[in-house]
Amino acid sequence: MSSSGESVSEFHWLLEVLQTIDVGMLVVDLNYTVLAWNGFMENHSGISPHNALNQNLFTVFPDIPRHWFEHKVRTVIELKNRAFTTWEQRPYVFRFKNNRPITGTSKFMYQNCTFIPVADMKGEVNSLCIIVYDVSDVAVSKLQLQQANTRLKEFSRKDALTGLFNRGYWEHLLSQEFKRQQRAHQSTSLIMMDIDHFKSVNDTYGHTVGDDVIRMVARVISDTLRGTDVAGRYGGEEYAVILPDTNGEDAVILAERLRVNVEEQVITVGQTSFQVTISLGVASWNTRLESHSDWVNLADQALYKSKDMGRNQVTLA
Amino acid sequence: MNTEHLDEEMRDVFQEIANVAMGRAADLLARLLNNYVVLPIPVVNLLERSELNMALSSLRAVDSVSAVCQGFVGSRISGEALLIFNDTSFQDIAELTEFKGDITPEVELELLMDIANILIGACLKGLAEQLDVSFSQGQPVLLGQHLNLYDLVNNQTGTRKRALTIEIPYRLESRNVDCDLLLLFTEDSLAVLESKVRFMLE
Repeated sequence: MSSSGESVSEFHWLLEVLQTIDVGMLVVDLNYTVLAWNGFMENHSGISPHNALNQNLFTVFPDIPRHWFEHKVRTVIELKNRAFTTWEQRPYVFRFKNNRPITGTSKFMYQNCTFIPVADMKGEVNSLCIIVYDVSDVAVSKLQLQQANTRLKEFSRKDALTGLFNRGYWEHLLSQEFKRQQRAHQSTSLIMMDIDHFKSVNDTYGHTVGDDVIRMVARVISDTLRGTDVAGRYGGEEYAVILPDTNGEDAVILAERLRVNVEEQVITVGQTSFQVTISLGVASWNTRLESHSDWVNLADQALYKSKDMGRNQVTLA
Repeated sequence: MNTEHLDEEMRDVFQEIANVAMGRAADLLARLLNNYVVLPIPVVNLLERSELNMALSSLRAVDSVSAVCQGFVGSRISGEALLIFNDTSFQDIAELTEFKGDITPEVELELLMDIANILIGACLKGLAEQLDVSFSQGQPVLLGQHLNLYDLVNNQTGTRKRALTIEIPYRLESRNVDCDLLLLFTEDSLAVLESKVRFMLE
């Protein structure tokens, strides 16, 4: 008697542990009828055992993606092999709220789950146990890290004043494009441009207005270019654009449009207003170019020619 | 076990154990995918950390890959299973699992986890049964997306210099599916493994 009493008491405290452990546990049979679940499941779902036990799982949790779940369970049962799912694959199987409702940053609980085939006394698998782990903290910090890295990458590529690519990254893209050209021999062009008499803008109106002008030209460039063109801020008041799949003539048409669009902008400072112009140099890729800097030089020479000829114009190298 | 090198007898035994384990895993995979799985020959090696890094980085260099790792521990034996999956395999796996629709990164992940669950689970179960031990498996961790495979292995510090590795290259017949399962056992597991194996041999 005493030994059976002991085993009853042992069974009791084992159940007690299962009930209180801070991990979700759920057992279903092969028809997805809920046979057992513990306190974690009950407390997080807010569903009483009365409304869950002996009910169909998909009725109790209508949010569960049924097709996916059934596929998982089938493999586990047929192959008698446990299966793991991670939050990266599916943020949660059971939609529970974050367990820190005040300071938690995600709305729901990220979960890792383990699907375990449960054999009966004869060794036949006719039920399945699902263990649910709360991994919200790990998931949230991983996601934040990922976001921070993406932002850092952007910061290291973009020019803070204009939002165009900075010189370093733009040159990297140009060298990639140059390597591609050496293989593919497409018609690709490059525009270098410079704001005319920018120093006098700074001297007359101050650096804040100078910055406004630099931003304005950058905006005109972004608005005028096509999606595949790559614009960068090359220096103080210098900009550079890569135009893939564009021959010299078409590049000149685009450069001319840039020139006109900048010329039309009016900058107002207090009572006075003024306009600025840009000079541009265009160079198409050719087989004589040995490096991407050769290409930049060629476009630069065209740009100087525009300056020499009286500024506010486009020259094709 | 002599942890300096692996004697031929032990290598043969590990090879045989690995053969049985991976055969079972291959059988499950074949059943899941309904496609004949070419039975691979496992390669058993005792690798230095530097060699292990080289092996891993050479795997990575071939093509774009996705990887899952999962730790296991039990009866004073511990290690990690690493499944390295060639990204070009997803299209065929999707067809075999009768998945319909676009293969998004989420779908790839789902397929990867399905295959990882089967191969890692079945292999470990096969090994454990033969050695008469039982392993606890940790949660699988996805490499590559958030972690770099090479960095991860390099990051590890500590005294463990060598690892017993069992490499099992899985191929599917007439399909472009290509994945490698690596079972890595820590240096301090080797003595336990050897005594288990000796016991089996007697």
